[in-house]
Amino acid sequence: MKVPYSWIKEFVDIEEDPNIVAERLNETGLETTVEKFGEYIPNLITVRITSVKKHPEKDKLFVCEATDGQKTYQIITGADNVKENQVVILAKEGAVIKGQEIKPVKFGSFESEGMFLSLEELGLEDESEGILLLGEDAPIGVDASKLLNLGEDYIFEVEITPNRGDALSVKGLAREIAAIFNKKRKEINPNVSIGKEKNPQISVETEKVNRYRGIVIENVEVKDSPFEIKLKLIKSGQKPINNVVDITNYILLQEGQPLHAFDLDKIEGQIHVRNAKEGEVFVALDGNEYNLKETDIVIADDKKVLALGGIIGGENSKVDENTKHVLLEAAHFEPSAIRKTAKRLGINTESSYRFERGVDIESLPLAQDKAVELIEKIASGKPVGEKEIYQNVYTPKTIKLREKTTKRVLGENIPKEEACEILNRLEIPTQEVEDGTVSQIPAFRAYDLQREIDLVEEVGRLKGLNNLEETYPAVPTLSYEKPEWYMFEQKTRQFFLDNGLNEVLTYTFVGEEIYNKLGLTPPNLRIVNYILKSQSVMRDNLTVSLIDVLKENLRHQTKDVAVFEISSAFFDDLEEIRAGILVSGKIIDGYRYTKEKTTFSTDLQWDFLKVKGLLLSYLASLGFKDAELQSADLPFLNRYESADIFIDGKNVGFFGKVHPKKAEELKIPKNTYVGELKLKPVSRELQPLEKEDYLFTLYKRRKTPAFQPLPKFPPVKRDLAFEVPEDFEVGKLIHEIKNSCKFAKKVKLFDVYYLGNGKKSVAVSVEFNADDRNLSDEEVNSIVEELIKELEERLDVKLRT
Amino acid sequence: MELKKELEALKGDYEKKFEEINNLQELQKLKAELLGKKGKITQVLKNLKNVPPEERKEIGKLANQIKQFFEDLIKAKEQSIKDKLLEEELKKSQIDITLPPFWIEAGAPHVVKETLKEITDIFVTMGFSVAEGPEVEREEYNFDMLNIPKDHPARDMQDTFFINKEGYVLRTHTSPVQIRTMLTKKPPIAIVAPGRVYRKDADPTHSPMFHQIEGLFVDENVTFKDLKGILKKFLETVFGENISIRLRPSYFPFTEPSVEVDIGCTVCGGEGCRVCKSTGWLEILGAGMVDPNVFEAVGIDTEKYTGFAFGLGIERIAMLKYRIPDIRLLFTNDLRFNTQFKGI
Ligand SMILES: [Zn+2]
Repeated sequence: MKVPYSWIKEFVDIEEDPNIVAERLNETGLETTVEKFGEYIPNLITVRITSVKKHPEKDKLFVCEATDGQKTYQIITGADNVKENQVVILAKEGAVIKGQEIKPVKFGSFESEGMFLSLEELGLEDESEGILLLGEDAPIGVDASKLLNLGEDYIFEVEITPNRGDALSVKGLAREIAAIFNKKRKEINPNVSIGKEKNPQISVETEKVNRYRGIVIENVEVKDSPFEIKLKLIKSGQKPINNVVDITNYILLQEGQPLHAFDLDKIEGQIHVRNAKEGEVFVALDGNEYNLKETDIVIADDKKVLALGGIIGGENSKVDENTKHVLLEAAHFEPSAIRKTAKRLGINTESSYRFERGVDIESLPLAQDKAVELIEKIASGKPVGEKEIYQNVYTPKTIKLREKTTKRVLGENIPKEEACEILNRLEIPTQEVEDGTVSQIPAFRAYDLQREIDLVEEVGRLKGLNNLEETYPAVPTLSYEKPEWYMFEQKTRQFFLDNGLNEVLTYTFVGEEIYNKLGLTPPNLRIVNYILKSQSVMRDNLTVSLIDVLKENLRHQTKDVAVFEISSAFFDDLEEIRAGILVSGKIIDGYRYTKEKTTFSTDLQWDFLKVKGLLLSYLASLGFKDAELQSADLPFLNRYESADIFIDGKNVGFFGKVHPKKAEELKIPKNTYVGELKLKPVSRELQPLEKEDYLFTLYKRRKTPAFQPLPKFPPVKRDLAFEVPEDFEVGKLIHEIKNSCKFAKKVKLFDVYYLGNGKKSVAVSVEFNADDRNLSDEEVNSIVEELIKELEERLDVKLRT
Repeated sequence: MELKKELEALKGDYEKKFEEINNLQELQKLKAELLGKKGKITQVLKNLKNVPPEERKEIGKLANQIKQFFEDLIKAKEQSIKDKLLEEELKKSQIDITLPPFWIEAGAPHVVKETLKEITDIFVTMGFSVAEGPEVEREEYNFDMLNIPKDHPARDMQDTFFINKEGYVLRTHTSPVQIRTMLTKKPPIAIVAPGRVYRKDADPTHSPMFHQIEGLFVDENVTFKDLKGILKKFLETVFGENISIRLRPSYFPFTEPSVEVDIGCTVCGGEGCRVCKSTGWLEILGAGMVDPNVFEAVGIDTEKYTGFAFGLGIERIAMLKYRIPDIRLLFTNDLRFNTQFKGI
């Protein structure tokens, strides 16, 4: 909201520097900036246009004559709103407009002695349509910069918080400023007498309209507004339209009371203030057609809807130059009803904005009377009748503010005398009582001040919350809980960082396309009102996002990508925090080095075993030493190079190579691996989920390792080579050796060799150890013999000799 | 005394010869020539029997001295040749220390995640616990119980993404974690809740997903002045001891009184610049005393307990701290950007 300082000064005697006023408003809770109203420009003069003719040679140009009362100027303009008799601003020779000095210019055979100015050229708005018309009553031959107060007046731009509807007017701001600077606010009472001869017929047929008052004004002369009104509207960032409409806007800005004027001759029968009928259609002043619902409030006559109550007027009853008689409406609508309708229909007007935030129901007649007074004065209308329905009469709420409450909340003792003084300054009638103060809440703060705490805030903000001396509380030990999950998450993060993966941050919503490309069914959970369709599906895995990261980097020729993210996957009933990884290309993009007999390469490619190593090393760092892998079957992975990860029989994740066909479709390198580990379930209920197939759950349950005595006797090593079928899993052999022989403490694979006959040779080195004695050679021999027998019996293996 | 002369000549002669030697084979050869079974000194000693007995003792002594002298010399020479050979060998396999290394380079943390961690750690160190909640959140927890009723303009403060799950939204702030915490725990409560939040802001200065951290402290006798103390300490820890702090009364439905907290612009130091829109101040967080309506919604006695809450946006702090000009950079995952912040 833009408010000129000069307008505020009409209501409160204040001479403070506007910057200080703005600063104090900020300090007390109204976010305010202040700017000078334009800059003084020399050589501007007001002139009256005496004639307008089409330029005989140039299309779209007009040749005008204008007078400053003494001298006549010939001006060529392209503005198509030039009008005879209007007073306009002329930039004479020597004036500098937007950095350009005005000089006489020839347009065809006509010379222009200057330029008519628009608001844009005055630096008062970003883009103007046509020149600025000051009306017919503005003085001519005067310094136009002075007349407009260019560079003299200041404009406050105030952004209110939703609770401060009361500050949405000149009056409201004046009240606030008066309270801050401890001044008295002035009220100027209108002098009107409304006839009784033509009282309108109005009935209020809905509970959602608390007060409604209609005044019939006859014989209005709809025309341009006088200059004084225009100037105030312009300063407030509003466009003058015609005197009647301008007056309603003027009062809205000044008093904060939205008003609406209907063309009385267009009303058929009486006025019904009622709920809309389901499906009723209404064409508003913005030219749009709206389908109404029963929850909407309409102002209607016997036949049709005239206005959407509190929001916008209708095309069918609008005031225009032909209007003779008007019905001037002032009303108070229930804020939530206005908001519901405005929100649904997507309409936001000055009126709805104020009604949503609460309008002062008690000063409704005062504001309306001020409008009537102006209409009488400048549109020569006669108020000849009125009707008022005040069905929900405002009764001020009594609120007690205890001294001890202020102390409890703010930590500062504010004596009741001081609180009382502050509240009264805010025009909240307040008296001291034994243990505090008692206030009667005026209607203009009805929605905001409802409880004791609201008064604590009022007292606090006026006293200055910024000035309170800070104290340093001790955080209670009793509330302490070890942040186990947080620490786990950070540990995981640190592991992947330390192991060379870069952390990424992806949106948790994706498009359907990636799911289709990966051969996955897109999840059900969607954003209904998404911004982009490609950001509308709540992902149920991280891979869909990480592939996007790879693609983004490939676009920049970054081919070696190793990334991870700890983030959420979404399901119908829960969320999962996962660690996702994606690696592609090289771990190290190295070089070859040869010197005499030494040769090595520092190049290192990602492959299945390295990804396995990375993930298993992570699991081992959490104390999970026995992770098992089983072939995975995911549509986007190469099933011959992918695995599900199990701990204690619980599937905690997967990893593998992207299927070559998918890689081709996605235009990503074939040598790309992805993996995800399920870290933690997140419940949407209040109870936490303790599901077992998550690393964090297993981590919390894992046993604390207990010390094992170190072996007292040296191990005996034996190398064993087995012939096994080509598809025999090496891991099974290693596992089985440990399993079937209590002396086999360590099994290390050292050679795998494909023999070419459907068989392969697997060679392992086994360390035998007894806890209580040295194993003799003979003893080891018989142990090995026994072991081999066992293995050959249980597995499809044969010792190679 | 001929022998004596012979020995002395031998010494001079061979001392010179040994000096010139620079490989082990020749050293061995010369050693044999002088000290071997048929070596020169051995010969001299053999001739000792022809020397008159009165001189024999003296010459014998001299010969042994010379023998010892050369043995020591040879030993030293041998060592020095070996050292030289080793040195040559080492030199030959000298590594070019400027070659690129052969190890996995540590990865770069994401600035937002790292900032979130840094801030969480500050509060954890102060004694706050860490709480979390789901991102697909009950409307009730995200709005209603936080004193943001339906059909109230306060709902417009946060443009909401709605989900096709009745009664749920993408949480617009981390504040519902306050509700979840207070519904499950009794005061005293001291938590922070870091996390992702979502708002339907489709302009270049906002991201539809961003991060916040929420703080909540509920106990007997918690005051606004305590809030100011905690925030002051926190902001000084993040931005340095000399940071100036300003509290402006504001409005949040779930706190009262509410304040916006500004810090002196870290870019221009308060002079006024583009970042602070020439105000010299940067809005950094929102805070306030927990509104009694919120306490009532979760069943906490408003006459017994008071509390404060605060919330701040992580992206903004990260952008200020690392001078990142455009929020979109944080979400592109262009590794050329991400890896700039290695080691922060
Ligand atoms: Zn600045």
